[in-house]
Amino acid sequence: MAVQAGNLKKGEFIMYQSDIWQVQKTEFYSPGKGAALMRTKIKNVSSGKTVDYTFKSNEFIETIEVNSIEMQYLYKDAENAIFMDQQSYNQYEVPLEMVGEIIQFFKEGEVMYVYVHDEKPLSVRPPASVTLKIIQTDSAARGDTVGNAKKEAEVETGAKVMVPLFIKQGEIITINPETGEYTGRASQGS
Amino acid sequence: MKIQTHGDNLSTYTKYIALIQAIHEYLQTNGYLQLDLPVLSPALIPEGYLEVFETEFRYMNRKEKLYLTPSPELFIKRLLAEGVGDCYYLGKSFRNSEPNSPKHLPEFTMLEMYKVRENYRYMAQVVRKMLEFTAKKIHGKDSITYNGKKIDLTRWEELTVAEAFEKYSGVSTEELFDTNKFLKKAEEKGYRTEGFTYEDLWSQMYTQEIEPYLGTDGHPTMLFDYPVCFAALSTPNTDGKTAQRFEFYIEGVELGNCYSELTDADLQDKRLADEYEERKKSGKIDHPIDKGFVDALRKGLPVSTGIAIGVERVGMVMLDLVSIEDLKLITIS
Repeated sequence: MAVQAGNLKKGEFIMYQSDIWQVQKTEFYSPGKGAALMRTKIKNVSSGKTVDYTFKSNEFIETIEVNSIEMQYLYKDAENAIFMDQQSYNQYEVPLEMVGEIIQFFKEGEVMYVYVHDEKPLSVRPPASVTLKIIQTDSAARGDTVGNAKKEAEVETGAKVMVPLFIKQGEIITINPETGEYTGRASQGS
Repeated sequence: MKIQTHGDNLSTYTKYIALIQAIHEYLQTNGYLQLDLPVLSPALIPEGYLEVFETEFRYMNRKEKLYLTPSPELFIKRLLAEGVGDCYYLGKSFRNSEPNSPKHLPEFTMLEMYKVRENYRYMAQVVRKMLEFTAKKIHGKDSITYNGKKIDLTRWEELTVAEAFEKYSGVSTEELFDTNKFLKKAEEKGYRTEGFTYEDLWSQMYTQEIEPYLGTDGHPTMLFDYPVCFAALSTPNTDGKTAQRFEFYIEGVELGNCYSELTDADLQDKRLADEYEERKKSGKIDHPIDKGFVDALRKGLPVSTGIAIGVERVGMVMLDLVSIEDLKLITIS
């Protein structure tokens, strides 16, 4: 399907210079003269290479239809994250460059959506929120408890996040995997 | 859209207000009169590529269309023709059809200032001194940190647009000012050219290959002398190709746009008609042309230079923020 570049959205897949790219970032920009522009950051799904490209906002871009398939995250190796289709039990390898930084918040066995095009897995749809247990954090330091003071905590996947001082080791918290930010307490934990 | 409050931004907001006060102080100390101007107007200066906000005045059975001003220029030029002298407006301006982004809000704060009997080169000096002054006021020094980089406000790079195209894009002056050669060069570089004008491709190449690098060497960059077609409101240079306009950048962020103001009323009149046609062609809101603005020019606009500066963008850079929304206590998005 062709869409005008001004309507491109983060996460969409496009055909550009005979390759498939995923849109990572968009910024509409009006230079005041001539067509408005769409500044983008796009990632090549084959090489993982990211480039900045500015399209004219009224230029037609071919978007790629992808399926989001529910899969279970099994494990990762040096190059790929391995997922299993919940229905066919087929395994798929998604290059780590395409999964991106969010992999640090993936717990083995979790179910999420993988984008597939022509039987080829392209990338993972970032979950809106992940729920993880804190395995290490210092007990609240006295003193700076006013305002938005934060401390570092390690969650069960090994990732480090900044959490409010009142959060204790063993608690289960929610994190926005795209920003790596603590979003709340899931439970008191044990 | 929703109203959102950002109590967390209070300390940044306080610094932003101090910055605005420093700008007022600098300009008033240097003899610029602050102007309090309307933001609703029954007619506007047509700009082909800019969409406006439309509203309506109603009383009994009387109805009249009003428009939020995308710039205070139409008011200020009238006042310059009346002899108001050096002056500035620091307040809201409105631009429609552009989504909120880290660098843009449909309702934004603009500083527009004018110096009479001087040209754009003079205004370049005013801008340098004003930014240095404001940095000293809020940080106590003449440098700032933005994007993890120290920016020295006492050393500015100055380039012409032609030099920048040569330096960053490998486009020669000859190719830059010749439509056919430029389109050919763009095609060689892999740009899609079919159905697009010189202006379209020029902007695309400028945005893609040049702008991100301006002001990234630890000091701001000023870019002078744009092709005439990109500076219709400014005085042409004697080379016949460029006009007296400059923009300035820090870390690829455009902060302001300056002209030696066009004083030729006939040329201005023609330009407004062209822009009006462009608006009609692209289906934009059909607002009346402000003829009073052209009349003011006929009356005699003094030789002057004017600059428009995005105040939130300056705040974002000066206070090392990721987005202009980080300065706000309330946003609509």
